[in-house]
Amino acid sequence: MTVLGIDTSTSGTSVALLLPGGAVSEARDDPPAGAHPGHATRLLALAESLLADAGLGWPELRRIAVGVGPGTFTGLRVGVATARALAQSRDLGLVGVGSLVALAEPALASGRVLAVIDARRGEVFAAAFGAGGGGPVELAPPAAVAPERLREVLSRCALPGSPGSPRGEGGAAGEGWVAVGDGAVRYRSHVEATGVRVPGDDDQLHRVTAAAVCRLGVGADAAATVVPDYRRRPDAELALERTAPRGT
Amino acid sequence: MAILALETSCDDTCAAVIDADGTIRSNVISSQEAHDRFGGVVPEIASRHHLELVNVVVDSALERAGCELSAIDLLAATQGPGLVGALLVGLSTGKSLAAARALPFAAVDHLQGHVAANVLRAADGSAAPFEPPFVCLIASGGHTLLALVREHHGYEVLGSTLDDAAGEAFDKGARMLGLGYPGGLALERLAADGDRDAFVFPGSRGDRARGRGPGRQRFLESLDFSFAGLKTALLYKMRELGEQAAADRASDLAASYQAAIVDALVDRCGRALEHTGLRRLAVGGGVAANGVLRARLQELDAEVHVPERALCTDNAAMIASAARFAPALAHPAYLGLDAYASGERWQPGEQGRPGEQGQPGERPR
Ligand SMILES: [Zn+2]
Repeated sequence: MTVLGIDTSTSGTSVALLLPGGAVSEARDDPPAGAHPGHATRLLALAESLLADAGLGWPELRRIAVGVGPGTFTGLRVGVATARALAQSRDLGLVGVGSLVALAEPALASGRVLAVIDARRGEVFAAAFGAGGGGPVELAPPAAVAPERLREVLSRCALPGSPGSPRGEGGAAGEGWVAVGDGAVRYRSHVEATGVRVPGDDDQLHRVTAAAVCRLGVGADAAATVVPDYRRRPDAELALERTAPRGT
Repeated sequence: MAILALETSCDDTCAAVIDADGTIRSNVISSQEAHDRFGGVVPEIASRHHLELVNVVVDSALERAGCELSAIDLLAATQGPGLVGALLVGLSTGKSLAAARALPFAAVDHLQGHVAANVLRAADGSAAPFEPPFVCLIASGGHTLLALVREHHGYEVLGSTLDDAAGEAFDKGARMLGLGYPGGLALERLAADGDRDAFVFPGSRGDRARGRGPGRQRFLESLDFSFAGLKTALLYKMRELGEQAAADRASDLAASYQAAIVDALVDRCGRALEHTGLRRLAVGGGVAANGVLRARLQELDAEVHVPERALCTDNAAMIASAARFAPALAHPAYLGLDAYASGERWQPGEQGRPGEQGQPGERPR
C-alpha cells in the first residue's frame, strides 16, 4: 500500500511517502527559532515533491496517515484539514496516528520512551511507551502536564520491581528509559531529574517524523474521519467556567 | 464551468457551487451557535468547529448542486481578512481539494466576496446580477467599508471605520440594553416601538447639526466611520437616566442608538454617490439585514441593490462569485498560499501575510 504521511503537531512540517515494498522517503521543513511554522505554506509542496521524486501522482496513493497530536492547535488543524481534503478529493483511506507515539516509535529500539512535546505556557504533552510484539505499547496515556509533574507520569507506569522502571523518587537513574521531543529538550533539567536520559539537543530522535506516522498508520484500520487530539480545552471555556457561579 | 468555494473567515462554515455565469447551484452555511454564551466569537472555538464541519459542508454543497468533485473546474477559498486559524481550515481544505486533482485555485479577499455577492444570479430569480460600476457599502460585525467598484475585480476604498465596525456597535449597544448576543436583531425589534429622536447620539442627523471643532468637522466631511463613541454615549445616557428610567425608556434608547448608526451609514452612502457621480449603490454584510437601514437607503437618489439576507451575511457563493473574476492560479502555483488576518487593509494583487489571531469579540464578516 502506498501511504502519504503528514505531521504538523510541532513547529516542524513533516511529510513521508511509504511505498508498497516498505521503503520510506521523507521531506521536512523546520523553521529557525522564533520563525513562523511552515505548516500552511510548505506542507502541500513537500508532499508533491515526494510524489514527484517517486514518479507517482495523487491517483497512485491509497491512504493518508496524519499525526493528530497533541501539539500546536493551528498546526494540527492545517495537517488534519489537508489530510482530510486530500482523502476527500481522491477517495483515499484516512487514518489518524497519535503524534506522541509517532515521536516515540524511532526511539523504542533503545528502551522505554517518554515522549514529550512542548505545549507552551509552561506545560508539556507527555506519554510513555514500551516496545511490544505488535508495535508500541502505551504505558501512560497522553496528558498535558507541568514539566515538574513528569515524575508522576512516569510513576504511573513504573511497575514495582520491574527492571525497566525508573526510580525517579530517589533520584536514581531510570535505567532503560529515554525521553525525546522538543519538550524533553526544553525541560531537559526536569526530565533528567527523574533519572531519564535525554539525547543531545540536536539528535534526530527529538523530531516527530511523518515516516513513523506512515509505519504506524499502514497497518491500522482506516477511519471515516480523523479529528485532532487537542488534549486541552479552549481557554475561553475554562475562563467562563471559572467565572460562572458554582452549581449553574 | 463550475466553481466550488469555501468560506471560513469567522464563525460560519460555508461551501457553495456556482456556474460560470454566476448562477448559484448550492449555497450551504453552517452557523456556529457555540459563541453566544461568550458574548463574541472565540477564535479557537470557531476554528475547532470549522474543522469538524468543513468536509461535510463541502459534500453537502456538491450534493445540493447535483454534481461531484470531478465536475468542478475551479476551487476557491477566502484567504483573508479574518481569524487566521479559522481561515486556514478553509484555505487548507480548498488548496488540498484542488491540488489532488491538479485544478486551478483562486484565493479570494473576503470583502471582495461581499462586493461580488451583488452579481450573483439565482435560478429561481430571487437574485439578479447588479453589475458595476457602483458604490458598495459593506457593513458587518467585523467590517465597515465604503468602496468604489468600477469593475468586477478590485475596488477603491472611499471610507472605512476608524474604530468599531457597524455590526459591533449594534452588538455592544444590545449588550448594554441587556439584549444578549448577537444583539442586532433584538435591538432592531426593541427600537421598533421607540422614538428615534428621543435622544441625540453621536453620528445621528441631530448630532451632525450641532456646531463642531475643526477636527470633528473634517471627520464629518470625510467618508470614514467612527462608532466607538456611540457606546460610551449610550452608557452615559443610561447612567444619567438612572436604572428605572433607562429600563422604562429602553425602546427610545434603542431607537435613537440605531438611528445614529443608520444615519452615519446613509449619510456616507449619499455623499459617496455625490462624490463619484454614480447613481448605483450595492450593499453587503450582516447589517444590511436591518430593516430601518434598508428603508433609508431606498430613499437615496440612486438605484439601490440589497441582496437577500443569506447573500449579505457570510456565505461561500459570494466567494465563488469573486473567484469568477479573480486571477486563478494554475496548479501548483497556489500550494504555498497563506491566510491573512483581520485589520490589514488588502490591496488587489498583494499577497497576504499571516498575522496574530483575533481576540474574542471580533466578528469579521
Ligand atoms: Zn463578512
